[in-house]
Amino acid sequence: MDFLDILREKAFLGREFLTWLWFKSDRTGGRIEIPGKKVVEVLFLDRMTLDLSDVDTPQTVTLKGEHSELREGLAALKEGKKIEEARISVRAGDNDFTMMLKGTWFSFGSFRTPPILPTGEAEAEEDVEGSFLEKTYLIEEGMEIVDELFEYFLKVRISDDWEASELPSLRRWISTASD
Amino acid sequence: MGFASRSVSIMRYRVKGEIEGSFWEAVEAGVKGGAFREVQTSGDEVGMGWASIDDFTDGQFSGASYLRGNYVAMSLRIDTVRVPPRILEIQLKKESRKKLEESGQRRLSSAQRRELKENLKESLRRQVFPSIQIYDLIWDTARAVIYFGSHAVKARERMEAHFKKCFGLTLVPLLPYIRGEELLEGKTEGHLLEKLKPCVMAP
Repeated sequence: MDFLDILREKAFLGREFLTWLWFKSDRTGGRIEIPGKKVVEVLFLDRMTLDLSDVDTPQTVTLKGEHSELREGLAALKEGKKIEEARISVRAGDNDFTMMLKGTWFSFGSFRTPPILPTGEAEAEEDVEGSFLEKTYLIEEGMEIVDELFEYFLKVRISDDWEASELPSLRRWISTASD
Repeated sequence: MGFASRSVSIMRYRVKGEIEGSFWEAVEAGVKGGAFREVQTSGDEVGMGWASIDDFTDGQFSGASYLRGNYVAMSLRIDTVRVPPRILEIQLKKESRKKLEESGQRRLSSAQRRELKENLKESLRRQVFPSIQIYDLIWDTARAVIYFGSHAVKARERMEAHFKKCFGLTLVPLLPYIRGEELLEGKTEGHLLEKLKPCVMAP
């Protein structure tokens, strides 16, 4: 399958992941346990875009604001939309990351890592390299957490459990939470 | 915004392909060979290439300054000059009138008009400050991953092409499906990913 086919035909995977992630996070107060791995705290913050892009004429809705405004996203899910991008925070252990996670490209907007320790005034060469490496490790750590969540989703998504229990629960959540 | 700032945009790429011969020599040649330089073209772009991630005015990379552990860190600098269209229009009208008065012609031919416009554009370009765009790039050579500091299509395309030209390696954006294949690689159920179709999540 070439790149453009993947971009066109498989973009749903990122949107379904984000939608599922909201469902998991909302039902558990943000605590998502990745079986055999770790517990990740996932919170949906103040911005979300949903669309109907599996159809020819995409209809997009963008929600901004705190928790109650985001609940309007549930009505959009009820109409068949899925989340294309959302501002989320993820935390595993001590480190907290926030980002605008984009579904189609699986890319990270406004990605914030925990602050790195300030270097001295002198800005010696090794300090510059040290700060760079620390920042890069943090970026990679944040992405790794997202990858682990994504892998968890994929394993559920391709399993028989998806149709048997996960998808029905997700639909129930949309239905009851949006009432 | 660069990687050193608090908030950063990141696109992830998988680096595909093999470097023949010494890896680090090829990296050095690719970085320095593709370092920022000014170019003379009729287009808007007047300079392009790799620059130091700490100082965009430095394209020397002395002492392999791009190297940080296993990472190659640099910026892509793109300088463009764009003459404001209305300024060009004003000057074009003024110069056309002058030319008509001088030659006694009633109107300029389309060839004359085109030539006049190109000449004016060229002289006006020298009076306009360039717009300088800087996009950070980190190449994790151990994992064959690139982190690029922009989602903008134009910047991405420019970077992908320049990277290919400098290092002979192809960059593949890590879309969900492509990253998914990697994450499930070697797992027995991994092949099921290819068959997946979108599902209806609405109740």
